[in-house]
Amino acid sequence: MRSISLIFKQFSRSVLLVAGFAVWGFSAQAQGDAAKGEALFKTKCTTCHKIDVRLTGPALGPTIASETDDKWLTHWIQNNQALIAAKDPKALAIYNQYNQQAMTVFTELSDADAGNIIAYVRDDWKKMQSAKPAAGAPGAATAAAVDNGPSDLVIYGLIAVIVIAFIVILVLNKVIATLERLLLNKRGLLPEEPEVTEEHEPVDRLAILKKIAKNKKLVFFILLCGTIALGSWTWVSLWNTNVHTGYQPVQPIKFPHDLHAGVMKINCQYCHSGAYKSKNASIPSLNVCMNCHKVVKTESPEIHKIYDALGYDSQTQKYDSTKAKPIQWVRIHNLPDFAYFNHSQHVKVAGLKCQQCHGPVETMKEVYQYSPLTMKWCIQCHKRTDVNMKGNAYYEKMVAVHELIKRNGRVTEAMMGGIECGKCHY
Amino acid sequence: MDSNKKYWKGLEELNKTPEFVEKNKHEFAEPIPIEDVLSGNGLMGKTPRRDFLKAVGFGVGAVTLAACQKVPVHKSIPYLIKPEEVTPGVANYYSSTYDGHAILVKTREGRPIKIEGNPNDLLSKGGLSAQAQASVLDLYDVNRLKNPMKGTTEYEWNEIDAFVIRELAAIKTSGKQIRIVSSTVHSPSTLAVIADFIAQYPTTKHINYDAVSYTGIIQANQNSFGKAILPHYRFDKADVIVSFGADFLGSWISPTEFTTQYVQNRNNKSLQSKKMSRHIQFETGMSLTGTNADVRIPIKASEEGVALVNLYNAIAGTTLPGTKKLANNSANNAIILAAKELEAAKGKALVVAGSNDVATQVLVNAINSLLGSYGTTIDMDNYSNQYAGNDAEFVEFINEIKRGDVDAVFFLNANPAYDYFNSKDITDALAKVRLKVSFSDHKDETTSLCNVIAPNHYYLESWGDDNIIEGYYTVLQPTINPVYNTRQAEQSLLVWSDAPVKEYYTYVRNNWDKNLLAKGGLSGQKGWETLLQTGFIKVADKPAGIYSFTRDLNAVAGTILAQSDQLVASGDKKMELQLYKSVAMQDGKRANNPWLQELPDPVSKVTWDNFAALSLTDFKKLNLNEGDVITIDANGYSIALPVLLQPGQAEGTISVALGYGRTMAGPVGDGVGKNAFPFRKFRNGTLQSTNVVTIGATEDNIILAQTQTHHSYEGRNVIRETVLKDYVKDPYHGTGHTTEHKAYKSLWNEYQRPTYNWVMAIDLNACTGCGACVVACNAENNVPVVGRDEVRRRREMHWIRIDRYYSFNEAGTTVTEEKEIGKLDNLNNVSVVHQPMLCQHCDHAPCETVCPVLATVHSSEGLNHMAYNRCVGTRYCANNCPYKVRRFNWFNYWNDSRFENYIQNEHTLLVLNPDVTTRFRGVMEKCSMCIQRIQAGKLKAKIEKRPLKDGDVKVACQQTCPANAIVFGNGNDPESEVSKALRSERTYYVLEELGVQPGIGYQVKVRNRTELEA
Repeated sequence: MRSISLIFKQFSRSVLLVAGFAVWGFSAQAQGDAAKGEALFKTKCTTCHKIDVRLTGPALGPTIASETDDKWLTHWIQNNQALIAAKDPKALAIYNQYNQQAMTVFTELSDADAGNIIAYVRDDWKKMQSAKPAAGAPGAATAAAVDNGPSDLVIYGLIAVIVIAFIVILVLNKVIATLERLLLNKRGLLPEEPEVTEEHEPVDRLAILKKIAKNKKLVFFILLCGTIALGSWTWVSLWNTNVHTGYQPVQPIKFPHDLHAGVMKINCQYCHSGAYKSKNASIPSLNVCMNCHKVVKTESPEIHKIYDALGYDSQTQKYDSTKAKPIQWVRIHNLPDFAYFNHSQHVKVAGLKCQQCHGPVETMKEVYQYSPLTMKWCIQCHKRTDVNMKGNAYYEKMVAVHELIKRNGRVTEAMMGGIECGKCHY
Repeated sequence: MDSNKKYWKGLEELNKTPEFVEKNKHEFAEPIPIEDVLSGNGLMGKTPRRDFLKAVGFGVGAVTLAACQKVPVHKSIPYLIKPEEVTPGVANYYSSTYDGHAILVKTREGRPIKIEGNPNDLLSKGGLSAQAQASVLDLYDVNRLKNPMKGTTEYEWNEIDAFVIRELAAIKTSGKQIRIVSSTVHSPSTLAVIADFIAQYPTTKHINYDAVSYTGIIQANQNSFGKAILPHYRFDKADVIVSFGADFLGSWISPTEFTTQYVQNRNNKSLQSKKMSRHIQFETGMSLTGTNADVRIPIKASEEGVALVNLYNAIAGTTLPGTKKLANNSANNAIILAAKELEAAKGKALVVAGSNDVATQVLVNAINSLLGSYGTTIDMDNYSNQYAGNDAEFVEFINEIKRGDVDAVFFLNANPAYDYFNSKDITDALAKVRLKVSFSDHKDETTSLCNVIAPNHYYLESWGDDNIIEGYYTVLQPTINPVYNTRQAEQSLLVWSDAPVKEYYTYVRNNWDKNLLAKGGLSGQKGWETLLQTGFIKVADKPAGIYSFTRDLNAVAGTILAQSDQLVASGDKKMELQLYKSVAMQDGKRANNPWLQELPDPVSKVTWDNFAALSLTDFKKLNLNEGDVITIDANGYSIALPVLLQPGQAEGTISVALGYGRTMAGPVGDGVGKNAFPFRKFRNGTLQSTNVVTIGATEDNIILAQTQTHHSYEGRNVIRETVLKDYVKDPYHGTGHTTEHKAYKSLWNEYQRPTYNWVMAIDLNACTGCGACVVACNAENNVPVVGRDEVRRRREMHWIRIDRYYSFNEAGTTVTEEKEIGKLDNLNNVSVVHQPMLCQHCDHAPCETVCPVLATVHSSEGLNHMAYNRCVGTRYCANNCPYKVRRFNWFNYWNDSRFENYIQNEHTLLVLNPDVTTRFRGVMEKCSMCIQRIQAGKLKAKIEKRPLKDGDVKVACQQTCPANAIVFGNGNDPESEVSKALRSERTYYVLEELGVQPGIGYQVKVRNRTELEA
């Protein structure tokens, strides 16, 4: 389904663009200047309005297209409060329909400005209307085409059938061969020679093996290699038991870190705000998502999962807490309960980059565990990393620390007691 | 060492009973039967090889199977819409009120997990009682009522409201009486709500009913001075305190506050200026206050009145009619001495009596008036509102019901069916009442008799205020959304009285805006917000007036002496019974709290039970052994209790704790101990806690879960004490060293402690032994509750314990061990020292050297770390610890159905501190010096880019100590409080001579005692 809507979107966008350019000529001559209107619309109106969809305020396209009284519209745009105060019936109706949320007053807009905005909205809406049927047909066709693709089940079923068929063929072949041999045996027609040759060859091979076996040094060498290989394999696999580097569970929402942190360059702390002040970096609560996604990509089915979780209706823009159900993310970085880890200590005090432990999150489509999160890994870092004392008065008076600096030239985390048991295990 | 005085924790230790000696040979009560296996059939069996192979095979298979388990998938569920003030992982603190004391409630992710004292609290300066510390656990009690009920069925609130309003309307028309029975209400807003309710239903009367009331004092003040109030006692202003059975440090009126006051004249600061108050205690059973007294004289309950009359005579220089001497000569001498000292300290003296008898309290008023205590040590103008109950009023209430006058009763935080002395009377009477409403959030004894239950919020879910001392107003704010479908009782009353404001929060707000905020110089929204942050307002104290006693005392003395005569037990099996509120259980309202049940009684060190305390003489006379069950019979009521030999118990008396024997408290509290409330007696218009009882023997013997001798020092001397006179002459007296500490040769290398050296100082002279620190530690460090049976097996898990030592009082001379054993008769003249004992964080810790897996190691900050996940449970460390402070997890207490009733269930687990791990079966644990707090304090300083200040890190036991006996901090900083405290001449280190270099310094106990009176 996702792909369909994506394709549909791409199509409609390009068609819109072409149609837009085509209509450009006509619209320019309408009562207002739509180009000026567009500029005004983008600076003044877009925080609350969209042309085709309802945001905080109504979808302007249909509303303004159906409203013919431009004078009234101009009044409304310039000072809706005055209209409401004057108990204008139309104004009151809108005011009440939108929960008595007052619209910003734009007294600075002249009649001409308002006219331009109205003109732009009407034009744009018209373009959208004409683009829609054109976009609809091929979109539907592609959708059908995509939908016809074989499902996973079918593919696996086919593979299974082929495999089974192969096995059947092999078994049948074997049976045929046996039967043939039996047949020949019975008739006494089986030639003797092949058997002899068959016996000769293994004897030869064994002889070589025996020869090799007599070379004690070689045997010892091979055995040694084997033992070492097996031993090191055991060693490595034992050490890595319960180490989950690369753990990449499927998340309930396909949240792309590469898009948010990579392309959009949103700071990690915008969402993981706890990292600076708490032991938990914290997964953002959904109201953080809604800061942007109330407006951005409202049509995406993944975003709709957020709406569903919040009990939010994107049409009416209302929250229904009775329908809310929290999203259960799958935790990727699991430290055992007996290890205390504090994000703010590392991010705020030590000034580490998130990527140091979490890897190149800005390139990950879906996040996986980058570091092993073993105690060895922690301790190695603590042994190698110098304490970030710059500009932190906390360390200023630590006379002893200064002595250490004099002696060694550097102060690592471990020297400050960062590898003592009780610092993390309590 | 200049003293070879002998200290002992229990008689078994003193007498070296074979069981005690045997048990102390072993580190753990039940040793692993290695010997049996090796010497017995273990290796001689027919097929040990096959069994061995089977076991190995099974073991390998089981381990493999267990290891095949998939790694569990953890879910992370963020808030849908995060409240602005919540940051997951960071605690929020809200100011609130517990029992009139300003507190701070620590919440994590919206749930309260710890109660801390508000350091600005005027009454106890941030100190809290064990009860307050434990109160957070009750929020998560699964046995709380979850919905309002009518009969035994659950209803919606609107149905309940409709029913109650209909009933009340009918009662109003019929003109019948309505009664609200509550334990004393000292919240101004609640009182206003009740007043509004009364205005709506004019036949309503509010009755304050306290399980253990102070009617005697209130009535006596009415009689003497025309003011029916409970005065505000000021122990901090008293140089000489004489108490007759008032356990003011443990259970009398306001023990936490009194502890703070009392210690001010006995702590290090006071001693530095060579000053120390003097405290003489006359009492029957050994109370917490008695153990702290400089001089303690055991007297019978019947002698208390006589002693007071004698004291009056001695001070006033008259002889009241009927005066007689006490049978006990040393008591007579002590009274004369006390009188002399009181007179010498005129204006700075205080006499208090625990009796609830009006006449006795009138006499005490007369004495205090003679001593000029009014206006100095007794403040009658900024009085206490803590208790206003009137026993006679409640008796009259029952009579009214019996007459059929009362048609509706509301019970608010009162449980007379359990704690009224004649509970049958109230049970029978209640059957006649048409509408019985209980606001209790538990289906307790009284609630089960009611037809409507409108469960109240817990105090951590409530709005409100409090005013226990006139002029001191504290505010109560909720720290969590209501856990269950409960509603605040005040709101229920507002709804039922159809008040204009039905939302109780608005009501409280209005009440403060109108009446109270202005008193603290605040106003409006901003003022209210300031109040919610500071937690209280204080109106300037009124000048404490001087009251003089002018009434004639002849009749009073007659009443006192007549009552004393009634109390004299004559006859073979008759004894005098004294009932007391135990420090942990108080009046039994919190009986379902496992932390309090497992808190050892400060004196007897008994957990999970009450008992009958008897003196050695009576033990011998009745041929009793420890734990023998006797029957106690009085008022037509009889219970069977195990006996306990209590040194210091007055001969011919029994002491029994109230607050036990609940039948409907919940699974923890039900059936723990026996109810002693029915033994109380209505005498001279008040309910009194003394009675004459008949005792009888039974065949049974019960082993009390007593922790007193569990951790043995093998007879090493760990206590140092001196007397004030010697201290003044030589501040080093009694410490075992003359000027500075002796340097012991060390086998180990010195540890580097470059930045911090976390150390602690404990002032034995300030510690009263109340046990608040134990519960605070439980809450902070997720210490499991193990239950009675496990305590009997010496497996209690408390990280900090308070050792209570007895020693004999001998005139001036030190006594050697041999002499003492022959002098067991002196058992009623003992003195007591309390010593908090926790991991000493030795610099050369013996536990560290024996750990085969390096699970316990030293840190560069002077702490002894314990890595639980490294421990394999050899328990060598516990064996090698000279202080016996290591605890072994015999069970997986957090996931074992046997411990379900205590803390381990899905609700109560919410109280756990998320920064501290719960320990698994088979590992050792011990005090970590609240390392989570140290780390958090350091991190906070680092984030704020400032050096760590002294006082930034307070450990849990220190934080809650109302006596401020525990000081913790950085020993490397010469200006820190702890360094100053450790520089005190009185400082000594326990078992210093072992060379383990303990990190906790104790300050010598000083007694303000001369040789004469001992």
